[in-house]
Amino acid sequence: MSLIEVKDVTFSYNGTRNAVDGVSFDIEKGSYVTIIGHNGSGKSTMAKLIAGLLPIKKGKIVIDGDEVNEENIAMIRNKLGIVFQNPDNQFIGSTVKDDIAFGLENKMVESEKMPAIIEEYANKVGLSAFLNYEPQNLSGGQKQRVAIAGILAMHPSILIFDEATSMLDPKGKKEIKQLMYELSGDDEITIISITHDIEEVLQSDDCIVLNKGKIFMHGKPEAVFKEPEKLREIDLDIPFVEQTREAFGKYKIRLKSDDLKGMVDELCRYRSNH
Amino acid sequence: MPISFKSLSYIYNKDMPYAHKALDNINLDIKEGVITAIIGETGSGKSTLVEHLNALLLPDEGSLQILDYEIVAGVKQKFLKPLRKDVGLVFQFSEYQLFEETIIKDVAFGPLNFGFAPEEAIKRAAEALKLVGIDQSLFEVSPLEISGGQKRRVAIAGIIACDPKIIVLDEPTAGLDPQGAKEIISLFVNLNRKLNKTIIIVSHDNEMVYNYCEETVVLSHGKIMYHGKTTDLFADKEKLKEFNLLEPQIVELKNMLIEKGFKISSEARTIEMIAKEVAGQVKR
Repeated sequence: MSLIEVKDVTFSYNGTRNAVDGVSFDIEKGSYVTIIGHNGSGKSTMAKLIAGLLPIKKGKIVIDGDEVNEENIAMIRNKLGIVFQNPDNQFIGSTVKDDIAFGLENKMVESEKMPAIIEEYANKVGLSAFLNYEPQNLSGGQKQRVAIAGILAMHPSILIFDEATSMLDPKGKKEIKQLMYELSGDDEITIISITHDIEEVLQSDDCIVLNKGKIFMHGKPEAVFKEPEKLREIDLDIPFVEQTREAFGKYKIRLKSDDLKGMVDELCRYRSNH
Repeated sequence: MPISFKSLSYIYNKDMPYAHKALDNINLDIKEGVITAIIGETGSGKSTLVEHLNALLLPDEGSLQILDYEIVAGVKQKFLKPLRKDVGLVFQFSEYQLFEETIIKDVAFGPLNFGFAPEEAIKRAAEALKLVGIDQSLFEVSPLEISGGQKRRVAIAGIIACDPKIIVLDEPTAGLDPQGAKEIISLFVNLNRKLNKTIIIVSHDNEMVYNYCEETVVLSHGKIMYHGKTTDLFADKEKLKEFNLLEPQIVELKNMLIEKGFKISSEARTIEMIAKEVAGQVKR
């Protein structure tokens, strides 16, 4: 049995067009799944349905053996942590410390244990020097890192990132992606990441491509990127490494490496051997 | 006349325990008629800097010369309205600021506010919408009913409709899908090339900066670390390291190839151009 089973789910906001249209897939426990697709493809709607933020009217979603419905939602939400795109809508505390403490207080963690936990997660997202900062003194990226720390401190078994890195600067993005990658090594944590960042897909186990509410492709990232023309067809980018392979392919230079350094070495061999 | 910051400083929460000097003695001349990128880490002062350009923030020290206006710390300003007409600022996530019943009304709000007659305001709004690629069939639609990328273009049209001489965009492509981002990029490139607008872009997207922005300003902890040609900056590994800037992958590839002795011209800014130049240097 998979941890998350999505079975033939259809959802419409206005009754005329299906935002999610007959979608089925499974997510295994401990895996890291990216969901991509352009704006309006249904990927955020899909995340909201899994999190029980939208009612499922057609089809069903089963998480850890329990169907997502009104009756089970409180229990299921206890297992879920969601990081949204806009950090301004997620900051609750008056300081970084308070914000991370908020969830812990709700879970009735003893107050003497809190400072150590807060320190641990603030450190994990690189904000230990900012514990007493107020939200208005933090940039968007810093606020987002606070949100992630607060959620991680709750030990959710499923983490949903809804375009959570799209507001961060390149360095912040890299750090958070690195953090997501590290978390994905934990077999108890399942990660679902809704993303526009095609480079992030490369570090996930599984990729679901949505288009017009339907599953367009689903498989390992390498398999998905083997068909760049299919992705272009629906206006999606391909990773830079694949763009490089394609660009050189036009000159009959077939690069086989999976990273830029390897490709440069291959080009050097082409130059000297032939 | 260039845009000129003279010894300008800005302090958030002045006289408070958490006072924070967001801009620290900025001296900077930005050229007219070119696309300039402002880059730097989160919290480096980029947004604070551009919010001075149309006097949303006023300097605590120093002064700013922009077009015919001079903003001096501690001096009460009387020309804020004409300044704000001439310098259009498109905020981060500008699509959240749409509020009118219809798209055309939303875009006409700016020109109306700056004293244009209703008829003229609507005419300007229609022209601006055409320029950003919003079809006439959408003019009477609520701005809440269109996609994120379209909303952002409508928000930019609201600024263009006021006919500013300088357009400042704060992270215009953040959160958009690749297609939406490409549309916004080609829009401001056209505003620069066809209408000769001065464009200032705050961005984290170094790939975009490398491809489209002639000049780059690097900020760090409220100070100017670099101002000059974008290609010179990204060709200098030491500088990138010093400023804690990530190399866009295209620059990484280009620099690695150059290190290995391949000859690549500085104009080669796309993977297609690099592949073409390198292919000529290997035997197949």
